[in-house]
Amino acid sequence: MKKQILNTIIRRIFTSLIVLFLLITFIFFLLRISPGNPTQKFISPELSPKLAEKVKESFNLDKPLFKQYESFIGNLIKGNFGISYTYRAPVLSVIWNFLPFTLMFSLMSFIIQIGFGFLLSFLAVKNINGKLDHLISKSSLMIYAIPSFVIGVSLIYIFSVQFNLLPSSGFSSINSYSLSFIGKLWDHLEHLILPLITLSLGGIAIYFRYLRDNLEDVYNQTFILNLRANGFSEKEITKKHVIPNAVSPLISVAGVELGLLFSGALITEVIFGLPGMGRLTINAILSRDYPLVIGCTFVSGVLIIISNLIADLFKAKIDKRLLKEILN
Amino acid sequence: MRFKQIYFILLLLIIGILPACNTSSPTKFNGVVVGISSDVESLNPLFSFTVNEGNISELLYLSPLQFQWDSSKGELIPQPMLAKSWQWSKDSSSITFYFRKNVKWTDGVPFTVKDVIFSFDVYSDPLVQSRLFGTFKSLYTDSSQHINLAKTFKVVNPYELIINFRKDAVPSLVDINIPIIPEHVFKNVDRKNLITYEKNHNSVFDGAFYLKKWNKNQSIILQANKNSFLYKPGNIDRLIFKVIPDYTSRLTQLKQGEIDLMEDIRADDVPILRNSNNLVITAIKGREYDYIGWNNLNPSIYEKSKKIVSNQFFGDYRVRTALTDAINREEILREFLDNHGEIAYGPVAPIFKSELDTTLIPRSYDPGKAKELLSQVGWRDSNNDGILDKNGKKFSFTLYIPSGNPRRQFAASIIQNNLRIVGIEVKIQSLEPEVFFGKMFDKKFNAWMAGWSVPIPLDLKPYWNSNLKENILNVAGYQNHQVNTLLNKIDVEKSKEKRNNLNKKIQDIIYKDEPFTFLYWIDNIVVYNKRIKGINVTPLGAVLHCWNWSVNK
Repeated sequence: MKKQILNTIIRRIFTSLIVLFLLITFIFFLLRISPGNPTQKFISPELSPKLAEKVKESFNLDKPLFKQYESFIGNLIKGNFGISYTYRAPVLSVIWNFLPFTLMFSLMSFIIQIGFGFLLSFLAVKNINGKLDHLISKSSLMIYAIPSFVIGVSLIYIFSVQFNLLPSSGFSSINSYSLSFIGKLWDHLEHLILPLITLSLGGIAIYFRYLRDNLEDVYNQTFILNLRANGFSEKEITKKHVIPNAVSPLISVAGVELGLLFSGALITEVIFGLPGMGRLTINAILSRDYPLVIGCTFVSGVLIIISNLIADLFKAKIDKRLLKEILN
Repeated sequence: MRFKQIYFILLLLIIGILPACNTSSPTKFNGVVVGISSDVESLNPLFSFTVNEGNISELLYLSPLQFQWDSSKGELIPQPMLAKSWQWSKDSSSITFYFRKNVKWTDGVPFTVKDVIFSFDVYSDPLVQSRLFGTFKSLYTDSSQHINLAKTFKVVNPYELIINFRKDAVPSLVDINIPIIPEHVFKNVDRKNLITYEKNHNSVFDGAFYLKKWNKNQSIILQANKNSFLYKPGNIDRLIFKVIPDYTSRLTQLKQGEIDLMEDIRADDVPILRNSNNLVITAIKGREYDYIGWNNLNPSIYEKSKKIVSNQFFGDYRVRTALTDAINREEILREFLDNHGEIAYGPVAPIFKSELDTTLIPRSYDPGKAKELLSQVGWRDSNNDGILDKNGKKFSFTLYIPSGNPRRQFAASIIQNNLRIVGIEVKIQSLEPEVFFGKMFDKKFNAWMAGWSVPIPLDLKPYWNSNLKENILNVAGYQNHQVNTLLNKIDVEKSKEKRNNLNKKIQDIIYKDEPFTFLYWIDNIVVYNKRIKGINVTPLGAVLHCWNWSVNK
């Protein structure tokens, strides 16, 4: 069985690598045929017209498309994504400056989304069709309908402008370098409260709606009635039977959601001036920084694949029947 | 029961955290926080291509001279910096710089003329691809534009250097005033790799500030260099550039006092900012203008064969003049810019007082005159459909604008309505900026709206010389041999007064030819906190000479 699991994981990794290769090949050609030119910023009355030509040469952009692709693949095999045109540094080292923040921020938001989603859905199901259930259901629908930039700007207005309780942008204070380790940690936490609320509210609403309906369905199943009739405690029924059956469909959604979160939360990052992958990727696209766009796509692709793999393994752990399905 | 416990803990957390939070205000320290919209890409002066990069790298690396803006004359005034004095030879074929002897790099190594010669060598090296590559036209260079060091420089002693100019050149201090880099640090790097060399050089500077910390996409923290001759006790000891991408967030932080200074404020935000007692609002006459580009050439023929053939709509100067007459520029200036600007009538900004031809008068909004002019050229509404036509061709075109610019979007809709009144149909299409500017430089549009920032010192040649291969910035494909002759004369004219007169003649011709519709010069509205003292905002920028600032603590 273990060997079978290992084989399956190796097979998944191999197919994932093919998917990633096809993805970056597609992006490579898509970028080259799209309008725009990375050397455009070198056209200025204060610069020599020859500079743009020189830069074009050094970026290999003067060579035929397939020659460029050949050299790109050659470098990629060596693990070299090239030099970012914008940051003038190796692509992976640029991404490494932004990725830890995104991983941390996304994971925190993900935990908040799942945690509050669970909490609220249990509360609602416990009071099914009661006042609290209606209140949470209606509020979640409303929150889901509000765009995140509206939430972000409103939070800034209330907590930063009106009450001056929380900082409105950035990941750290301007004088944070002089703080102690605990001081720095506290400083980061203060800066993350509003962005985390902005990013997480929508997700909480989604998880709530999924889970509430699933929990209600499972509670209404006849086997739950049977269990109750056989004298099982409510706690045992919930823990061993209701939750595993209710969360299974949600885990796939969570896997995709986590992968997307890892790709960056552009709107939240822009409103709160956070140094995440979303801003990095969009700036790379707007400035036609081809190597950086490909690097960001690759990293996002890897994270989405890993998130889905983890979600599948988690599902299999909760429900053994699904392991066979995944192995087959 | 468990839910109640969780609620209780959450409530405690909220009650505990929020009152403990109190956003730190910059008023607590002896420094200034400047809000900027995007992070800089490099602090290496070799590659400081953007305005912010230039501003910051000039605080870290000094140049031989510093320039002040003389607003009464509208020109640059050179003042000592690394060089305490300088002397031109009688025939202006060389200049001698006498450098300060007390300047040291932050690692303790003394600054000498070797650093100056090395800097010129690196800036002009084709392998490096620096921002100044190919611009040292007054110095002796080889065929690859690399400066010939032996011919150009003569070292008298470690603090005295003679720079020789080419015999046919018209040398200017601006052309040779470059931020000097430390030879002992940069010489150890392969020049091909200098473009990716960012990490280690950031530890050695000679400027008024040094780099304390660079949190990418967050902030750049500069600390006063107390060993610099520019340091004055009591002045600011820290300058922070805080990256806040969202304009509204930047504005909120300015009002809150989280940042102290912000440039490029939109005119419609000025009335709200006036209500803040802690802010000073300054509007400096700008050198940036918006224009409508009328392609003087036929774009499809030019694209196919690079042949210069007159544009079917805008090839005739009378049509272009009529279009300017038909556009109500005052309305845009009043409604959108709240009169923070002035009507443009040529490519020379009003701040260039010596070069500006003040005898020219801006064309006023006159749709009647426009109709008459168009009729003279043959554009009449022969089928009474409300749209002018000529030889069966309707006067209908697309006006392209770059997306994400509310001012240009507003102006485009006014222009569309204005031109409809004289019988011209305009469709507006906005394009993503990279796509837009690519097509503009390739001259693929018939009509578009964009803007230029005029360089200091004034240089009209890149925009108006007819050689389109060498002057890609002549985006309208403007052709006038008389202008070419005058531009070439400016290149070799040594008398400043005569150069100014030649510039005025060019403005006169461009005014008559109307290759663009020059819309308006836009003021740069800068807002800063009252606690900053000694600030002097000029067309050269707001943070220039900021080592002279102090703050009320």
